[in-house]
Amino acid sequence: MTKVVGKPLKRKEDPKLITGNGQFTDDIKLTGMLYMAVKRSQHAHARIKRISVDAALKLPGVVAVYTGKDVQDKIKPIRSIWLVPGCDLIAKDRVPLAVDKVNYTGEAVAVVIAESRYLASDALDLIDVVYEELPAVVHQEAAIEGSAPVIYNDVPGNVAFTWKAGEVPEEVFANAEVVVKQRFYEQRVAANPMETRGAVAQYNPGSGELTLWCTSQNPHIHRLQYSEALGISETKLRIIAPDVGGGFGAKIAVYTEEALAAFAAMDLKQPVKWIEDRQEHFLATSHARDQVITTELAGTKDGKILAIRTRNVASLGAYLSTMGAGVPTIDFGLMVTGAYTIPYAQAETIGVYTNTTPTDAYRGAGKPEASYQIERIVSLFAEKIGMDPVEVRRKNLVQKGSFPYTNPMGCNYDSGDYQKVLEQALEAAGYAGLRKEQEEARKNGRLLGIGISTYVELCGLGPSAVAGAIGFGGGLYENCTVRVHPSGKVTVLTGASPHGQGEGTTFAQVVAEKFGIPIEDVELFHGDTHMISMGWGTYGSRTTPVAGGALAIAADRVIEKAIKIAAHELEVSPEELKFEDGAFMVKGDPDKKRTFKEIAWSANNAWNLPAGVEPALEGQCFFDPPDFVYPFGAHICVVEVDPDTGVVDLKKYVSVDDVGRILNPLIVEGQVHGGLAQGIGQALWEQTVYSEKGQLLSGTFMDYAMPKAKFFPMIESSFVESPSPVNPLGAKGVGETGTTAAPSAVVNAVMDALKPYGVVDLEMPLTPEKVWKAIQKGRAVK
Amino acid sequence: MRIEYSYTFDLPKDTVWRYIQDDRVLRSSLPGCQTFEEMPSGIYAAELGLNTGPVKGLFSAEVQQVDQIPPTYYRLLVKGKGKPGEIDAVADMILEEAEEAEGGTKITCVAEIEVTGVLASVGQRVMVGVAKVILGQFFKAAEKEMQNEI
Repeated sequence: MTKVVGKPLKRKEDPKLITGNGQFTDDIKLTGMLYMAVKRSQHAHARIKRISVDAALKLPGVVAVYTGKDVQDKIKPIRSIWLVPGCDLIAKDRVPLAVDKVNYTGEAVAVVIAESRYLASDALDLIDVVYEELPAVVHQEAAIEGSAPVIYNDVPGNVAFTWKAGEVPEEVFANAEVVVKQRFYEQRVAANPMETRGAVAQYNPGSGELTLWCTSQNPHIHRLQYSEALGISETKLRIIAPDVGGGFGAKIAVYTEEALAAFAAMDLKQPVKWIEDRQEHFLATSHARDQVITTELAGTKDGKILAIRTRNVASLGAYLSTMGAGVPTIDFGLMVTGAYTIPYAQAETIGVYTNTTPTDAYRGAGKPEASYQIERIVSLFAEKIGMDPVEVRRKNLVQKGSFPYTNPMGCNYDSGDYQKVLEQALEAAGYAGLRKEQEEARKNGRLLGIGISTYVELCGLGPSAVAGAIGFGGGLYENCTVRVHPSGKVTVLTGASPHGQGEGTTFAQVVAEKFGIPIEDVELFHGDTHMISMGWGTYGSRTTPVAGGALAIAADRVIEKAIKIAAHELEVSPEELKFEDGAFMVKGDPDKKRTFKEIAWSANNAWNLPAGVEPALEGQCFFDPPDFVYPFGAHICVVEVDPDTGVVDLKKYVSVDDVGRILNPLIVEGQVHGGLAQGIGQALWEQTVYSEKGQLLSGTFMDYAMPKAKFFPMIESSFVESPSPVNPLGAKGVGETGTTAAPSAVVNAVMDALKPYGVVDLEMPLTPEKVWKAIQKGRAVK
Repeated sequence: MRIEYSYTFDLPKDTVWRYIQDDRVLRSSLPGCQTFEEMPSGIYAAELGLNTGPVKGLFSAEVQQVDQIPPTYYRLLVKGKGKPGEIDAVADMILEEAEEAEGGTKITCVAEIEVTGVLASVGQRVMVGVAKVILGQFFKAAEKEMQNEI
């Protein structure tokens, strides 16, 4: 049997999806189904004086209207799942519908249930809400000033928590030869998966069972939360995530609309569907980033980094979302030293409530922020001491022989050869030549810039004991069941919930190779809490390292059992058998054998099993990894800035990543490219913008600039493979590398291009207007 | 957002001043004006049916004219509410003799406008253009009304 792991096989999932045969939440149509539409607040901060729903109820076809008062005793608030300890966190939970006060533009105040989606939507206009507007606070730095409006009386200064990790002795900075300090703004962005959120709820009044199809990255977390919010036993609540059209973190969070649809289905005893439109998505689905990070670096004149100290003022939005507190603290703070051996580190994060949409995870979640500040400050440090940014990195990167390397926050970087990755990237980009080209270009008044990012990322979440210690309200192990049918075909069930990552293919590759069967014989099933054992979902680049770990072990358990049965049939001891290319062969007598298919048949029939061996052929594993995984990479970006227009032209992008063992290079490269599109998008184009009064100004794709294929050069990616020692597949996770690496690579490149004008930093996104203004300012100073 | 818009009347300044705040003129020339009534408080209550870009549907508005310095300045306060959102505008209206047209009057409107809801999230981008179209329609209609009055 040929090796299939490591081969660039096309995705098994794609024929279904690209022929329009996917089954997404909106494709589910049930008899007697009603439709829900949501009335949302037009104000960022206001008291609700009165809600009149009579006119809406009179519209023919409208079945019900619910306001906050109608449901406040029926649906509990949705709790945040990540209550970060040791930071005096005051968690403000989302209520299903606002009752007395709205705290952000777009907050739900009422829902209409009607016989059609159009009727439900029309009826929203007939609901009259009278508000008393209150002063709003939008930006977190303004929110913590004494004069700012207070959103919650029991949250003084709007500060939800103050979190600290690590400590740098004061004398380290006081005595340092070089200190660099810079404020960075990680702007607010939106994940924008192609499929918006949605839910279909069906209730059986006879059995009391509720089935909720919804756009979830983690159905078991949704079951945990909705079971509590709706007061339904887990045995009666079935969450199904059908095909999910991308999530990027926005579908981790547990929201209120899905619970409202479920409540309405129970109340009305009819199925209810809610599908978010794109304008709603911009208002109501969690935003991300929005962190003001001030970083100080202490170093020596010859380029050694001694300490990093950060202060992150993070906007949580108006409520604490599912992972809202964890992202800017644990995810960010533990990785502030990046890929460098830095003796001292200190991270402080102030979580702030603002009158904006709640923030939560988005592809990378905390790591892009950590990577951005360290990669930017290291380049500024290089600039300050007059050293090439590559040289400074060479001097400080974790050295090859020192893995596992424990960073000052206690994270154990698992494996790697950072120097090799960096040198490979320099070689691929032609770095030395690029610097010469840049010198020539500058003489001719052309603004060529070269940016480097050598990022490291914490992912593969993670050991459950650590999850408990950091206040995560669940475990982070994962499960896989490998079920061998009588024909020898295999179904794999997993608690991870892929929604575009391609595990239908990569997991099949692993099983096919282990069992010596065709990849076509293996199917992956996921996303159904009634069918799948407890699991935690897909996010944090955990599916291959953690669920893949469970998969490998479960498959091995199948083989272990199959060997016993084969040995029994061949009348030898199990030790006398070897399993190769799908056959159990007697060592030294390869003609005496049983195929995997034959054993699948006999195991499932159980006509002749050895003593003590149970019928059927199925293996399960709950894999709890001993530690996290740490992908590393070196990315080089080349830009040319047009001095007359400020337009940034991406000329070249080189990525070299070590994501551990690669199961399918085609999928891995796709993951890198997709992440890069979003990372470069954050650097150059994307931003969620509010007016001073908290009105969302970027509410359509005309206003929110999504990256388009034509914006990019051919991305030149290659890989170095250092298997991770913390999981059986040696995988490190790849999904978030692009968003973690790219923003600093691009911004470093643009700053390098603008060096002749003395520009030190610009806030992302680097729009032509912003760049042009910086050039004008630089010219004026000159 | 801030909007600046100028219109030149082919009428003398005193005439423009006399009629630009006149409720009959306003009623006839405000685009889509369905009702326009003075309330005891001196504030006008109006209903306007608008249909320009995202500004669509029936808007109920409160209009107030204050701080008059005849015949050169007054301030217009407009609070409007419709299905797509709310509008809050403060406009400085400046009248001066037109340089280019002898005997004419140039009126300049400098307004700060705030909008909410869909008007903000979808409409902000085109709002300046929409406001200018609406102001242009208004001034043009008002000039016609003034000519009928004199």
